[in-house]
Amino acid sequence: MAEQKQGSHISSMRQFKAILKKDIVMELRTKEMLTSMGLYALLVLLIYYIALSQAGSEFDVTNIAGGLLWLAIVFTSLLGLNRSLVHEKDQGCLDALLLAPVDRPVIFFGKAIGNLLFLLIVEVFVTPLFMLIFNAGKYSSGIATWGYLSLILIVGSIGIAGVGTLLATMSVNTTGKDFVLAVLFIPVMFPLLLAVVAATWAILNASPDMAVYWKMLGIAGGYDAIMLLAAYALYEFVLGA
Amino acid sequence: MKQIRIALWLAIVGGIATTAAFLMAFFTAEVQLFGTVSLAEQIQTAFPLLGQDASGFMFGRPWFSQKIFYFHVPFAEASFLVFTVAAFFAIRFLMTKDKGYDTKSRVAMEVALVFVVLTLITGDLWTKASWGVWWEWEPRLTTYFIMTLLMIAYFVLRNSLEDEERRAVYASVYGIMAWITAPISFFITRVIPSDHPVVFKSGMATSNLLPFIVAQLGMLAIGYAVYTIRVREERMRERLDVIKDSLEG
Repeated sequence: MAEQKQGSHISSMRQFKAILKKDIVMELRTKEMLTSMGLYALLVLLIYYIALSQAGSEFDVTNIAGGLLWLAIVFTSLLGLNRSLVHEKDQGCLDALLLAPVDRPVIFFGKAIGNLLFLLIVEVFVTPLFMLIFNAGKYSSGIATWGYLSLILIVGSIGIAGVGTLLATMSVNTTGKDFVLAVLFIPVMFPLLLAVVAATWAILNASPDMAVYWKMLGIAGGYDAIMLLAAYALYEFVLGA
Repeated sequence: MKQIRIALWLAIVGGIATTAAFLMAFFTAEVQLFGTVSLAEQIQTAFPLLGQDASGFMFGRPWFSQKIFYFHVPFAEASFLVFTVAAFFAIRFLMTKDKGYDTKSRVAMEVALVFVVLTLITGDLWTKASWGVWWEWEPRLTTYFIMTLLMIAYFVLRNSLEDEERRAVYASVYGIMAWITAPISFFITRVIPSDHPVVFKSGMATSNLLPFIVAQLGMLAIGYAVYTIRVREERMRERLDVIKDSLEG
């Protein structure tokens, strides 16, 4: 490894940028991931409308708004993660990356940050739409609420993108790609989802509770730290196999 | 062969110990309170009609349901222990790339899954008797359910991979990721307020502790025996495959 580093005069930062740039350029040319993820999220919102259509006017949507929002994000991210790694595999890009003298952790961060970026772009578009059409911000819709909402969306998305990149790299090599990704991904995500849903609920419901919000944000952050560390350490083995 | 002989002896000893614990649970153990929640409190909500005799002795279904404790708790503890063994062998495999460790990890995961299923079945019976419902989304039950799903996902992942080396590496990686949730499930009743009883906080009478420990040791002996015999079986199957391949080629 040490020899490799001396041999290639390219720093890790440049390698990372190159991998990220590759994903962005490909997305800009095909616009495949963003359109499919965005459309899918819209369809999920439509399904929510069907699910809630008989709830009546007394039903307070803010009590479940956090759950609905994160469900849309989880389903959308499953689609995106699968897409992002299927491209790599089908076009032989992952093999080429492995042949190049690039450190394995750099590949992990390149892919994970790319996935995070696309997920955040979709969230920027879907979250206001969700808040608008379900009137989820009826108790709190000031600048502060949007700030807190953005913070929890970012923390949650970091966990989803990081762990998801590892699991998607494994699932693209299995026979039942997207099904296997869902089976692997959702139970591992469980603690994070519970925390971020509780945090989102804490700022959107009739009596916002900042103590709950910060506690849940802390749990989500702790999950991110532990799982990203594990994913980072284990990615090398996954790529090597 | 010596290992197999020990395993067979352990299976017999474990069977006797578990049976003894079963008898002890019904004939010598006294009725006790459930950790932080008193039995009477639970009975008042679930079974209002339950009575006591003059000496304060409770009778009826909850008295009977308490007996599940001697099996449910040992199953659960064994499941955490064997899961940890599986994760340990998964780490050893990633360190050494020795295929034997992967086989050990997988067999340990199978044994752990059996214990998990037994825990869920006995737990469910108890929940119905004491809480009056089959299932409650309560921290311990929820995290344990997630742990079960992770173990099932482990086998789904294994079965959907064809390349043997890749299967071993991916399964080990996922096993380690899955194991991270085990301590969460184990400690959650001690951190978050939960309806699930925490037994060892409140202490136990000797007549309760004895069948519990005997049952625990008996189950671990059986678990170890099954594990050893299964590993042996897998080894032999691998050898047979190699011989078959060499004969055909």
